[in-house]
Amino acid sequence: MKYTKKLILPLVLVLGILAVAIFTSINAVRSQASDKRTEIVFWHEMGGPSEDALEKVVDGFNKSQTKYKVVPKYQGSYDEAIQKILQTHGTSTSPAVFQAFDISAAQMIHSGFTTPVQKFIDQDHYDVSKIAPGARAFYSSNGVQQGMPFNTSQPVLYYNATLLEKYGIEKPPVSPSYSDITRVAQQLYEKSGHKTKGMTVQVYGWLLEQALANSKTSLANNNDGHTGNPTKVDLNNPQTVEFLKWIRENIKSGDFIDYGSGASAGANQTAGFLSDKVGIFIQSSASIGQLTANNTNKLGITYFPHPDGQKANGVAIGGAALWISNDKPKDIQKGAYEFIKYSLKPEVQAQWQKDTGYLALNKDSQKSKILKDLYKKSPESKVPGQQLATAKPNNFNSGILMEGMQLTRQLEEVAMETVYNGGDIGKALDIADKSINENLQTSNRANGYK
Amino acid sequence: MLKTPATSEVASEKKSVSKKKFVFRLNANDKYFSMFFLGPSLLLLGLFVFYPLFKTLYISMFLTDTFGNTTVFTGLQNYVNLISSADFMNSLFVTLIYVLAVTVLTITMGLLLANLASKKLPGIGIFRTLYSMTMGVSVAVAAIFWLFMFNPSTGFFALVSNALKLTPINWLTDPKNAMLAVIITTVWMNLGFTFLILLGSIESVPRSLYEAAEVEGASSSRQFFKITLPMISPTLFFVSTITIIDAFKSFGLIDLITKGGPTNATNMLVYRIYKDAFYSGNYAKSSTEAIILTVIIAFFTLIQFKFLEKKVNY
Amino acid sequence: MPTILKNVSKEYAQGKKVLDNVSAEIKTGEFFVIVGPSGCGKSTLLRMIAGLTEISDGTIKIEDRVVNDLPPKDRNLTMVFQSYALFPFLSVWDNVAFGLKARQNDAAKIKERVDNALKMVNLEEFSDRKPRELSGGQRQRVALARAVASDAKICLMDEPLSNLDAQLRIKMHQEIYALQRKLGLTLIYVTHDQVEAMTMADHIMVLNDSKIQQVGTPTEIYNHPANEFVASFFGVPPINLMNAKKVSENIALVNKDFEVELAQTIEEENFRIGIRPNQLQVNKADELHANATIKAVEFLGDEKIVHTEMNHGGVISVIVASEAVFDPFESIEITCDDSSKALLFDLDGNNITETQGVAYNA
Repeated sequence: MKYTKKLILPLVLVLGILAVAIFTSINAVRSQASDKRTEIVFWHEMGGPSEDALEKVVDGFNKSQTKYKVVPKYQGSYDEAIQKILQTHGTSTSPAVFQAFDISAAQMIHSGFTTPVQKFIDQDHYDVSKIAPGARAFYSSNGVQQGMPFNTSQPVLYYNATLLEKYGIEKPPVSPSYSDITRVAQQLYEKSGHKTKGMTVQVYGWLLEQALANSKTSLANNNDGHTGNPTKVDLNNPQTVEFLKWIRENIKSGDFIDYGSGASAGANQTAGFLSDKVGIFIQSSASIGQLTANNTNKLGITYFPHPDGQKANGVAIGGAALWISNDKPKDIQKGAYEFIKYSLKPEVQAQWQKDTGYLALNKDSQKSKILKDLYKKSPESKVPGQQLATAKPNNFNSGILMEGMQLTRQLEEVAMETVYNGGDIGKALDIADKSINENLQTSNRANGYK
Repeated sequence: MLKTPATSEVASEKKSVSKKKFVFRLNANDKYFSMFFLGPSLLLLGLFVFYPLFKTLYISMFLTDTFGNTTVFTGLQNYVNLISSADFMNSLFVTLIYVLAVTVLTITMGLLLANLASKKLPGIGIFRTLYSMTMGVSVAVAAIFWLFMFNPSTGFFALVSNALKLTPINWLTDPKNAMLAVIITTVWMNLGFTFLILLGSIESVPRSLYEAAEVEGASSSRQFFKITLPMISPTLFFVSTITIIDAFKSFGLIDLITKGGPTNATNMLVYRIYKDAFYSGNYAKSSTEAIILTVIIAFFTLIQFKFLEKKVNY
Repeated sequence: MPTILKNVSKEYAQGKKVLDNVSAEIKTGEFFVIVGPSGCGKSTLLRMIAGLTEISDGTIKIEDRVVNDLPPKDRNLTMVFQSYALFPFLSVWDNVAFGLKARQNDAAKIKERVDNALKMVNLEEFSDRKPRELSGGQRQRVALARAVASDAKICLMDEPLSNLDAQLRIKMHQEIYALQRKLGLTLIYVTHDQVEAMTMADHIMVLNDSKIQQVGTPTEIYNHPANEFVASFFGVPPINLMNAKKVSENIALVNKDFEVELAQTIEEENFRIGIRPNQLQVNKADELHANATIKAVEFLGDEKIVHTEMNHGGVISVIVASEAVFDPFESIEITCDDSSKALLFDLDGNNITETQGVAYNA
């Protein structure tokens, strides 16, 4: 009796585990039985309203398909997803197709974990000329399309058009220079009786990189990595200094407000902008949706500002691309490509732009009724697309193909924060250069790159 | 490890006396039998504690590539690099400042509030509930709440300073204030738990001790320092150990409020480890940092037990 | 200087009196015991004297000062608690020194006083021990030493011996009494134990039902109780109380069963009579003369207690010599041969014995 009692607990545990195991496998069998289509696991990092829009795309694809079924799985932030993708590669949990953001492009190409989309494009004789060349250039190396751009944004400058009208301030030109923005910011600050700050620039490495792109300057050698693996970074260059001096000038005259860095800073500056606390800020075009939906004021949009006395070189795209893992059978990889192809259809991209503010990549999308209606309703939402179309892709504005971009950004942000808090510009940039180069060299050594 | 010489002598004496009997009793059968009981826990500990620990130590002596593979053996170079890096020393420094400030403030404020709430005053029940309420608040909710408070244009502090025509404080963008903001938030989070534990401890001090002291002529501040403090010292020791270890491990609030910024002013060790591993993919560096943090926490815990434990047990 | 309680009352909730109109005078240097059953308010009274509990009504005067609003530390007294209230983290020596340090005496004086106090309670060798390393009796002595070390001349004790076993208690009675006499302390001592009260007190205050029943010396209280309650509270086994009827001027019929010739004349038709167990006699009797049956016999060494049940109801205890042979269920006759010490009470319980003149009547 005593003996049986002792056995009861382990027995119950074992039975429990068995029950769970059986139940779950039955479940798995069942779900497979009810849907004979091949499952394509899709990892993405779209949260909030963008996730809903993405699910619309997935649903559209699944409805159009008898052979494949895409299962979307949210993976958190862009930054965190990269490590998950790299660490699960080759296991059964890894995705068939995944979304990886702009600055991870070099890492993805170097990893050898993906099948270049070019392979399927060639097999399928797909016409890629309809897809925005600036966006394609970002994710290609040596003429081979590696990942396919999907959600693509442009950094643009937003301003509160209603407030400018109210105080009789002349609005900035479509492609403003630094001093154009300084003028508007200072006027707004003074004319509002210091109630509204003129401008802010979020502490965000992306914006600093865009300022360099727009002023035709590379951050890393080997043409920002487009002609070879970068071995050296030069952040302390005249163009970075000019950009930071511009911000410093506005901080000194009091019309600048610092919202800091990170996601909360983004949320805070949006809140500040919508409540008339700040008149100008720079942010991804993907924010348009949010800024028009909740805005009682009229929204103004211009291109990313450029240094005085030179023409804007155009900015690099932001956002992310879709990549196909090479650790899955051919059939599944094909399915992943089918999904990518579907996601680039003109009407899908048009709806995507309307829902999220990301730019429609297919040129034919512009002809669609969805976008025409959108532009009629809010003409300013045309601006980001125009900026993208205006810029001629070159090595300066096609992103930086370098590993360790996340850390590089952090170090850029530390430099920005130092300057915002009154630190010496040259010194801050030198410190950043030193750390970035150290990391770059260690990383190259660890990875065996020359 | 913590034995005083005297007790270890006694222990070894005991051992020698019982040695014969002990060997006699542990025959081969018993050995298998003891492994039967020890096995599962050894296996679990090995799998989830020792293996990761040694793996971390191992990785810390290499360079790792993009995928976290160890590629180039560097010996102690990673440690040398870290210790000679101003950036890492800054993290170490801000971590210590943070731990110290959080512990001291949490304990003193918790003690103050608990002491107040232990008094029999009208309406004290409401305050007790209020003070202990942060215990039920999750880190995420607390972070969002304080982010609202700290918002430079629409936050509570900004509104107050605007209303009073003061220069608003840049809570999260000025390096000095950001540390303060994180400390305030952490202390606020900690306070509920600390308050409740200390209140329970204070309430369990027999009333007659205070009455005796009152008759003997001790003022109420003397009663606090000479009776309350020593009586609750075991609890204080417990709470401070927990608070220190918790502060060292603080992650959620940092991640949600400052992300280690601005200018690394709140880049605590744990957050740094996370960023180096899961943002930058530099596993070698973050393993090295993890080992250093382990050594530091072990060191602090040792000190606490060595010096404080003796004093608090009566 | 005496301690004077005048019309002291305590009311926690409206109309619920814990102490009602208590007045007494405690002379300097006397051993004053407050006794009563639990819940009678005796501890509350002591705490009010100490200043730990507020006074609702009346005044307390210590050495000519009204102390109603004085905090405990300014009343110049010391107190020994039922739980001893020793500080567990302090050594015996530091426990005793606590009050002296709090009152900021200089070190030499503290040392002298503490050492003396510890010597007085025979605890010199234990001065470095912590309370948990002491026995119950030793802890009690530390508490005493703390009271002794203080220079206060009034010492309050709240059931200080109730946590000790019977033998130790008797020993401590003597020690406390000796200390009190030696130091000339005014000792106000609360207990529920009538034996403690009788053996140590100079004066006893009997409390019941929030009211003073009687204040007097042990002899007065025992021999001339103010009422039935006081009479039955003191003495082991307790006094036998029976209904009685007047037969003639000085003859009473007790419990319908036996006649007692009283030492005084009585007026009441119906009253009650109290006779202590040692003033009654028991004799074996046949059915015809018997008025009671033995229920149980207790052997105490020098004497025996015979518990009986009267034929007409009611229980009576009688003390007999230990040689006497009685067994349960025997029929007996109870008589009272010498009724000079019998107590008479009216139906309200008040003492109406003629010799009671000296007693305090509340």
